[in-house]
Amino acid sequence: MNALRFLCILGILSAASALHGQFGGFDLGKALDTAKSVGKVAKGVAGIGPEEERVIGGSVAVEIAGTYGGLVRDEKIMRRVNLIGRTLAGFSDRPGLNWRFAVLASDTVNAFSAPSGYVFITRGLYRMAADDDALAAVLAHEIAHITARHALKIVARGELFAGGSSLATTYSGDARKAQAQLQQFDLGVKEITETLFTKGFDPQTEYEADRIGRDLATVTGYSRDGLRLMLQRLEQRSAGDPKQVFSTHPPLADRIKRLQ
Amino acid sequence: MKIPLLVATAALLATSAQAAYSPGGTAYTKRFETALLAEPSPLAKALARISYAHKLKIEEVRGAWLRVSEGKTTGWVFAGNLAEQKPAENKGLDGLPVAASETSATAAARPLAPAAADYADRRGLAQARSDVEWMEHTSDGVTNDQVQAFRQAQKKGEFQ
Repeated sequence: MNALRFLCILGILSAASALHGQFGGFDLGKALDTAKSVGKVAKGVAGIGPEEERVIGGSVAVEIAGTYGGLVRDEKIMRRVNLIGRTLAGFSDRPGLNWRFAVLASDTVNAFSAPSGYVFITRGLYRMAADDDALAAVLAHEIAHITARHALKIVARGELFAGGSSLATTYSGDARKAQAQLQQFDLGVKEITETLFTKGFDPQTEYEADRIGRDLATVTGYSRDGLRLMLQRLEQRSAGDPKQVFSTHPPLADRIKRLQ
Repeated sequence: MKIPLLVATAALLATSAQAAYSPGGTAYTKRFETALLAEPSPLAKALARISYAHKLKIEEVRGAWLRVSEGKTTGWVFAGNLAEQKPAENKGLDGLPVAASETSATAAARPLAPAAADYADRRGLAQARSDVEWMEHTSDGVTNDQVQAFRQAQKKGEFQ
């Protein structure tokens, strides 16, 4: 999808969010004029401001919870992952986000994040994290995806195809077009979730998250080797069933080698 | 396709090659306010407070603590409270930079964006929406004071 078009639509939705607070309801029509000006300034990942990021992040978080069996609703586990997660996130490059951490009710071994501060770890991976160092290593990797805006770059990547014109000027208050714009937004979210669930980030992006996450865990006071040791444990497990372990990530051996 | 890939690879290599903090180098503040302390200790007196995204000169490195200066002001900061690179500028819907206060860790927790809730309803993901709202509510139940107490008890961050 054309990134600028996606960002324009996102502007509509974000503006609608603001209007929701003012008028107590979702009024797409009233948001359209605001969206026209949003379209003129939306450029690449820098054009995705905090409000737009909240809309994308919340939508992606809903998809993650819906795809991976919902959440483990255990207050003790939630407290542990949030204490460790927020201890780490407070020293990340974006300490001011609303950081939230949860465990997905899935026995696959994986972890996910969504823009604006949502971090998920599956029950299968949570059980394999033997101690706080291992859990911190996984959470720090996901925090790194958010602070480096990796998911947002998926929708920002097509900026060059947008040319110099503002597509927002083609929009109107027409209900049929508004519906089409919502469908475009949904496709943008789908691009992100397909990357998270199926295609995976490109290897360099994962290596970058490994490096940033390891440095974050280290400066916070968790083991520098936490991620490497965790990946080695997963590598042993994956010998029997490789598709169940970080199936959307680069080969574990490559990641382990780079962390040595 | 090859050129963007090469550029991306070069950028990653440059990032990877960036040296850790060292005397003579620079670092940036990443919070609404960063205290420069009299000693390398979380309980030391604050000598000055520096606002968001300011460039600081590194004078000395002692473990996880840096002695930094800005002009004539000098003090100690825990390395985790600084960034190697200048924080990205956040822009709001009007395209202008958002207030630095929105980068504060004390910013109020906010619920699922209404447009994201509408997305969930449109996609028939009512249970998933309920899960995410529960996640937000439960996570926000862990207060900043509790996180700070956890850090102190576990000897993490500036309490190492």
